Amino acid sequence: MRAVFTIAAKDLKQRIRDRSAIIMGIIAPFALASVFSLLLPSSQGFHTDYAVVDLDGGPVSELLTSRVLPGVVEAGFADVTPIADRATAAELVEDGEMGAAFVIPEGFSEAITSGRDATITIIGNVDAALSTQIAEAIATGYAEEINAVSLSVAAALGGFTTVLPATIADISSRAAVFEPSIVVEENEADSKQMSDKTFYSASMAIMFLFFTAQFGILSLLSERRQGTLTRLVAAPVGPWTVVLAKALTGFVLGAVAMLVLILASTFLLGAEWGNPLGVALLTLGGVVSATGVSAMAATMAKTEEQASGWNAILAMSLAILGGTFFSLDRAPEFVSQLSLITPHAWFLRGLDELAAASGTVADALPAVGVMVAIGVVTGGLGLVRARGLVIGR
Amino acid sequence: MGEMTRVLECRDLRKTYGERKAVDGVGFHIDLGETYGLLGPNGAGKTTTISMICGLLTRDSGHVEVVGEVIDVGEIHAKQWIGYVPQDLAIYPDLTAEENLMFFGRLYGLTGKRLKARTDAVLEVTGLADRRQDKTEEYSGGMKRRLNIGIGLLHEPRLLILDEPTVGVDPQSRNAILDSVEHLSGEGMAVLYTTHYMEEAERLCDRVGIIDQGQVKAEGTRRQLVELIGERDRVRVVVEGNIEAAVVAVRSVEGVQEANRSDRRIDILANDARVILPALLRVMADAGASVKGVDVVEPDLEAVFLHLTGKALRD
Repeated sequence: MRAVFTIAAKDLKQRIRDRSAIIMGIIAPFALASVFSLLLPSSQGFHTDYAVVDLDGGPVSELLTSRVLPGVVEAGFADVTPIADRATAAELVEDGEMGAAFVIPEGFSEAITSGRDATITIIGNVDAALSTQIAEAIATGYAEEINAVSLSVAAALGGFTTVLPATIADISSRAAVFEPSIVVEENEADSKQMSDKTFYSASMAIMFLFFTAQFGILSLLSERRQGTLTRLVAAPVGPWTVVLAKALTGFVLGAVAMLVLILASTFLLGAEWGNPLGVALLTLGGVVSATGVSAMAATMAKTEEQASGWNAILAMSLAILGGTFFSLDRAPEFVSQLSLITPHAWFLRGLDELAAASGTVADALPAVGVMVAIGVVTGGLGLVRARGLVIGR
Repeated sequence: MGEMTRVLECRDLRKTYGERKAVDGVGFHIDLGETYGLLGPNGAGKTTTISMICGLLTRDSGHVEVVGEVIDVGEIHAKQWIGYVPQDLAIYPDLTAEENLMFFGRLYGLTGKRLKARTDAVLEVTGLADRRQDKTEEYSGGMKRRLNIGIGLLHEPRLLILDEPTVGVDPQSRNAILDSVEHLSGEGMAVLYTTHYMEEAERLCDRVGIIDQGQVKAEGTRRQLVELIGERDRVRVVVEGNIEAAVVAVRSVEGVQEANRSDRRIDILANDARVILPALLRVMADAGASVKGVDVVEPDLEAVFLHLTGKALRD
């Protein structure tokens, strides 16, 4: 066993010295994760500003201004600013200072309480389509709730169309218990997703892990080219010792690169990886799978160049299919299913499980198990082929 | 020497690649303090033979013992007795000479003070002590060659195997390598030295095995081998013109034992060449060949090789 560590230590020294593993394993993925986090639009980080013009000032409009919209503010994705008149609000929206504006016309409350039609106007901007769509959804939800309460009240009053002032307060309090769905409704699937920064950090880490881990077995081909493999085999060490040392090199390089990336993305990018034990197990699974897959790919080749090429194609294909560049949530079902053949998809899925409010280490274990299984199967094949390389040379 | 001093014993080694017999029944032994040469042209089976001896290559059949222990690809313990110096450089260019030596030393079980002492000693012997911290990619070809041999000596093996160590080496480094090998055999180490340079085999080796087409054609001391061809001289004639006719004509001269063409050269084995030389020149001229140079040499291993195989060593 000492010979395994001796060879692996020598290989690690060489890889650190030529900086290839550092660039491929740490610098490149961290740089890309940073770029993606900073430049690409964030799905979780959406924030907008709304203007509200309450020309009514009545009890029904107050439901929107004092109950519904504060809920939006509380949810954290919008700020609401009262504006005195419609023209100013329209100007602010057009200038892009506001994402959209709610305009409640004069007599709105009276119209509602009298059973007449009333209209809330949403002033939007084509350059802020998402803000406008959300504003429309808020208003629609509010209107539906008001309609439901009005109908209910109308029925209780035996068909009277005029609502007494005392009843309005009751409407207000009852309407308030209806939470606008788009604002506060919890979507369980969304809550199990990582933040964008975590996603990009994790996806770049797992993608480049497959490049980093290849350096282990790849060095077998390098040793063969430079003649030192003959000398290793001439020493009193068995072929498996050499092969295991190379695999250990790939494993250590991958594990160290992942550890550095996790720490760097946490402290420098603000990524939130989740439960440390769960992350450690997922990382272990990812490194095992990357070591195994890259060992299999490298030993199919006859030269280092060929091995690097094949491994790059395989790593990129698995990364794309595994959803490292885009979320598979919106992908067709068969793509989502197909992605499960990749360690990348399982790694990201495991992190999603940890990101859930109720996520525990146990939730990540299936992903860990699948990744380890992929690594053992592909790595087993790769190591047997690697031994053939050592003996046959 | 007695059995107690036997370092290497190999018998009936065979290795076939497809239809080609790379090694076909090779066997020899080497005793302590002895330098044994495997002399043969490129492709004769030298490297395949020593690859099987070192346990680098699975043999089809045969038996190898080093210091009384069987050695094979899966039998690794006996490898500790061998210091192997491959024909091509086998050093890490991105490591220093010291790092190379320390690494290989650890693989052979050296640790601590002994590892340090042996590393220092080899760096001194190879003349690399003052460049020990430089990466070997910065070394000259000769320095790399010296380190390549030094790694083989590091763990003080019982048997040092050198596979054509002077191929592609400048004359100065070549002499240094030959001096080192002479010195090693003087220290009691057994040495197996493969070469296709007759002069190296004559200078270094106590015994020589002449190998061609995977078979040891003859084996013995230089004297024993030369006696195989008797007191015959070798005449090397460089000619132009009708060379084939000249070869036929030469063979007809009384006293000529063998005559073989090699490009523009005719190698002749003859009894008392100086006496029959005028007749040789005359028949070649009559055959339409113009003689451009003549060299008469005393019997040597190259003549033996020519006698045994019908071709020159470097054909």
